[in-house]
Amino acid sequence: MAESITVTTPGLTSIQDLGRLRASRFGQMTGGASDQYSADVANALVGSPRTAPLLELVAMDFGAVASIDLLVAVTGAPAEVQVGGVTRPQWEPFVWTAGEELTVRGIRDGLRVYLAVHGTIDAPYLLGSCAPDSVLGFGRQLTVGESVAIDVDGPPIDHPHFRMPLFRLGARPAAFTGCWTIDVTDGPDVHEFGSTSARLFDTPFVIGGNSNHIGLRLTPTDPGSPVPRRDRSTEVLSRGVPIGAVEVPAGDEILVLHRGRGVTAGYPVLAVVTATALSQLGQARPGQEVRFRKVTVSDAVDAYRTQRRSIDLLRSRVANAFASLRIPLHTETTSAQHSSVPQMESA
Amino acid sequence: MSGVTCIRPHREFVLSDCGDSAVRLTSLSADAEERWQAVHTVAAALDARGDEVAVTGIIPTYDALLVEFDCGATTHDAIRAHVERLIELPADAAARGPRQFEIPVVYGGDFGPDLDEVAEHLELSPAEVIRLHGAGPLTMRCFGSPGGAPMLDGPAFPRPVPRRTIPRPHVPAGAVAVAGRQAVVSARPAPGGWPVIGRTPLTIVDPATDPLSDFRPGDTFLFVPITAAEWSTYEGVRHG
Repeated sequence: MAESITVTTPGLTSIQDLGRLRASRFGQMTGGASDQYSADVANALVGSPRTAPLLELVAMDFGAVASIDLLVAVTGAPAEVQVGGVTRPQWEPFVWTAGEELTVRGIRDGLRVYLAVHGTIDAPYLLGSCAPDSVLGFGRQLTVGESVAIDVDGPPIDHPHFRMPLFRLGARPAAFTGCWTIDVTDGPDVHEFGSTSARLFDTPFVIGGNSNHIGLRLTPTDPGSPVPRRDRSTEVLSRGVPIGAVEVPAGDEILVLHRGRGVTAGYPVLAVVTATALSQLGQARPGQEVRFRKVTVSDAVDAYRTQRRSIDLLRSRVANAFASLRIPLHTETTSAQHSSVPQMESA
Repeated sequence: MSGVTCIRPHREFVLSDCGDSAVRLTSLSADAEERWQAVHTVAAALDARGDEVAVTGIIPTYDALLVEFDCGATTHDAIRAHVERLIELPADAAARGPRQFEIPVVYGGDFGPDLDEVAEHLELSPAEVIRLHGAGPLTMRCFGSPGGAPMLDGPAFPRPVPRRTIPRPHVPAGAVAVAGRQAVVSARPAPGGWPVIGRTPLTIVDPATDPLSDFRPGDTFLFVPITAAEWSTYEGVRHG
């Protein structure tokens, strides 16, 4: 059943997913939600597949009106979430009533908010993903008055239980206080920096203004603190760089490549931000202070697996709750139809 | 799964951890062509089998291959063992033979703002730089950034070309650039640190088509000088 939401306040909002896997083979960015954890949890809370399209709001206020009752969840940075002027919780599913405006205002501490829907958000696909690619010029930001089609593939949800904040599904909100600790592992080229590699851990860094989904630029909070330096000047042939690569191109700043990174570079990789810490950095505003902490690869993998396991458990609690309320769960076939489409569909 | 680089000189490659979700294979073979063959052979084999082992990205370049994977679904040890098995395989015949493309280029001026500086560094005249750049076909080694740019062997310049000290904030699609012993044709507009000596009016990638690009690693590019007046003849033409 084709329903829709109509945008009243677009902010900086795009239709997003977890990224374009294997596009790096063709020199294209991976992209996808900058805070993968919050996006993954949002879809889990509404019983949609991990890779289902959802809205990513960046920093600015957002508003839209739904044509039908929708079960939705809002995660990511703290914000004021309201439906028809009544405050709704983040990190729990709730009903967005037909004809009412849902607003997300005052995004703070972090940068990005995710809005997932129990239903399938219609989006153009490229190489199996709807994630915007700012370099290719694929995907775009929503505009005022625009309608986004949503296939709710079932009867409208109008259960009395949704009229009150019933759910206590226990999704773990991301933390946003104080100076953030960002875990990194040694990079493959750490030896090229000699003893200066320790400078990454000696001082806190602050996120620079010219940071985005492609990469974050950071400088020491104490401008006198030196950054790591490569101890040789030999040419490096361009080669694949991982998401999370920490590079020191020149000057007094360090660069952390994020999900929109160019896939090749000729700079040595000093360190690599862990998968869990990349979600944190996806929330970092200019001015945010961070401190890097060195961990082992196996500790980083354990942390990621623990996080994924917590989302899997959340999914089973959601499935149980939905089953008891007779809400149909979306099956993976909904998204498989999309991912089999090899190229861009017309928008 | 330690961060320790595994060096096996007798097999002529190094496998290094690149964080919790990637490993990098670097070929140490004495011959550049062999290094390229080795990493692209493993990449092709991973392409065929990748989904079984939770591989999420494969980036083969000149002498290295980055393998990205879901560390929630597999382990570094499993990926390393897999790559080490694949490197023993004989090279598969390519899906198609290499093709040669002629790439029209307007050199210098606004089209190639760094031509004079490159010439000065190489102690050559700009005309000689243009001649050497188009003297023979250059082999495409991989797709790179930005946006799937064909990355090529560099022309037979007398020495490597340094990157710009200050990157250009805006380099247009079609920019023809050189750095080190490499050459590239920008696929999409982006900032860039490589000296730009010219620009082609051809469309290099097209998001509206599948595949996005007609080029494949192993193809060769022959750069042909054209005048600015001829730009519109080729503008937006897609090769292949």
